[in-house]
Amino acid sequence: MSTTARHPLGTDRVPVGPGMSMFDPMFIGIDEFGQHVSLDIVFHNLLTAGEPGAGKSGLLNNVAATAALCDNTRLVLFDGKWVELGPYIDIADEFVGDDIEKGLSILRRLLTVARNRYLWLLANRRRKIAREDNLSTIVTIIDELAMYLKVLGTKEQQAEFESLLRGLVSIGRACGMPVVAATQRPSWDIIAASLRDLFGYRCAFRCTTVGSSDVILGSGWADLGYSASDIDMENRGAAWLLGEGTVPKRIKVAYLTDADIYAIADYAAWLRRPNHGTPANFTVPAARLDWEMAA
Amino acid sequence: MSKSTRPGRSGRGSGTVTVIEQRVHRSAAENARFAFILTAIVTALVTLVVAKSHMHPLLAAFVAIPVAAVCGGIIWALVRSWPVLRLIWWWTPEILATVLTAWGWTVLAASTPGLLTAAILAVIVGVPAGVPVLRRWTVALFWCVAVRHRLRVCFSQFIITNRSGSLPLILGARPTPIGERVWVLLRPGLSLTYLTQQLDKIAVACHASSVLIEQAGRGNAAFVRFDIKRREVLTASVNSPLIDVIDPAIPLDDKEPATVTGLDLPDVDDIPATTPDKPKAAANSRKPATAAATDGDDINEWI
Repeated sequence: MSTTARHPLGTDRVPVGPGMSMFDPMFIGIDEFGQHVSLDIVFHNLLTAGEPGAGKSGLLNNVAATAALCDNTRLVLFDGKWVELGPYIDIADEFVGDDIEKGLSILRRLLTVARNRYLWLLANRRRKIAREDNLSTIVTIIDELAMYLKVLGTKEQQAEFESLLRGLVSIGRACGMPVVAATQRPSWDIIAASLRDLFGYRCAFRCTTVGSSDVILGSGWADLGYSASDIDMENRGAAWLLGEGTVPKRIKVAYLTDADIYAIADYAAWLRRPNHGTPANFTVPAARLDWEMAA
Repeated sequence: MSKSTRPGRSGRGSGTVTVIEQRVHRSAAENARFAFILTAIVTALVTLVVAKSHMHPLLAAFVAIPVAAVCGGIIWALVRSWPVLRLIWWWTPEILATVLTAWGWTVLAASTPGLLTAAILAVIVGVPAGVPVLRRWTVALFWCVAVRHRLRVCFSQFIITNRSGSLPLILGARPTPIGERVWVLLRPGLSLTYLTQQLDKIAVACHASSVLIEQAGRGNAAFVRFDIKRREVLTASVNSPLIDVIDPAIPLDDKEPATVTGLDLPDVDDIPATTPDKPKAAANSRKPATAAATDGDDINEWI
């Protein structure tokens, strides 16, 4: 079954998704009892962190792949490494690689949309959007958050990026604009605790130290036995998820191979094509021969 | 049924086996006496009121007394025998399994020749043992029955915390991918926090790798569930269901891979240093590490 999504300008309607909706629970894996774990991404922001190779990108790809197949859903992707979210570049409304200025511009646009949506909600005597509103869900996924906050651009640009991101995370939740972010360790020099605490879901993959685990989940959890440093290094995809419920729970994230990811992305691109023509033309930007590091 | 003469010991030394403990007997006797009195009084009053409308009050008393005695006696017998009834109820699956096995074997042996009996027995035992799905179900069923007894052993041996010695009500058990899940209704004197401290001992008693406990539902703190963990599922690979909803053979046009250059170090020219947006501090004027790291922000604002 194909359903339709609205173009942001209202100029056309694009067939998208095999009947899936972002308002449905999003399957991401299993818990330690073997039960399915599903997230309500539309109304929650998700922060995931852990050491390299622990499974962060697997979780991001689960979210991105589901969103790509969902009806009436737009993707805004930030990926400092290009390849983690790159497969969805054809279907993303915006894709930011290492151009922080473009990223800032997109964040400003997103905040403007969020503001307009709240004015629309106010006009309709409502406080948050619902599935029946037919407003698109705009999912912003940021991989390697530290790249935008500490590596790319100038300090002013990084500060503005954090400020805009904080705004989007703060107000995007109720207007159908959730943020999913991943970083290796959200320590004070990457992401402030006050920003971290705005994420309703926090997922801690394997960390090297108990302190790192507490940094992700929140202070004090490691003392209670919820430490991501205990996760087996070989068990990639295992994590602690702090979300619904009062305590973190152990999960194993579903794994998508590269072939799976590209198959899903291709299928989503095929579904989203206007008039089933050729896929959106995307050309990989020219290889850069310089590199603007943070001053 | 026999009982030990010295409460608290197994009774093996005196040649008897404790099935129902002495204090449980005492408790049942007291409860039965109390139930008899209460039932008799209530029944007598009700009977008296009803009978009085049909006869003289004095005659009505002669009717009410035997009715009260009979009703009180029935209740007394029920409450007095409750420890035995409870035991029978508790062991019902095992009793039924034993009876059915014995009956089935007797019927089978009596109605079939020896070789056929052996063949049928081989099928009955061999198929569940040989078919993996049936074997797993059989083992899971066994553990569901066994784990309830093991939990009861835990409660009776090292968890009882009330004066009467009453044990929690162990409800149903069902198999899960990691072991079994058992629902329990706690008695006064126990709490989730207290039981959490006993999970290591419970795991040993249940022959499990670990045990988890959670409150079942939000309404009643006494209603908890134990998850007996015998297997680890988080080490398994988890597949995404998204693969099942896509068509793997979509008619996409072949795209030529983009040409990317500068893939090796000699291919990239020297890059001049970028101008810092702030002049660097003099080499000798080192700031404290904290102040430098936070760029003047209050460290308390950060993690």
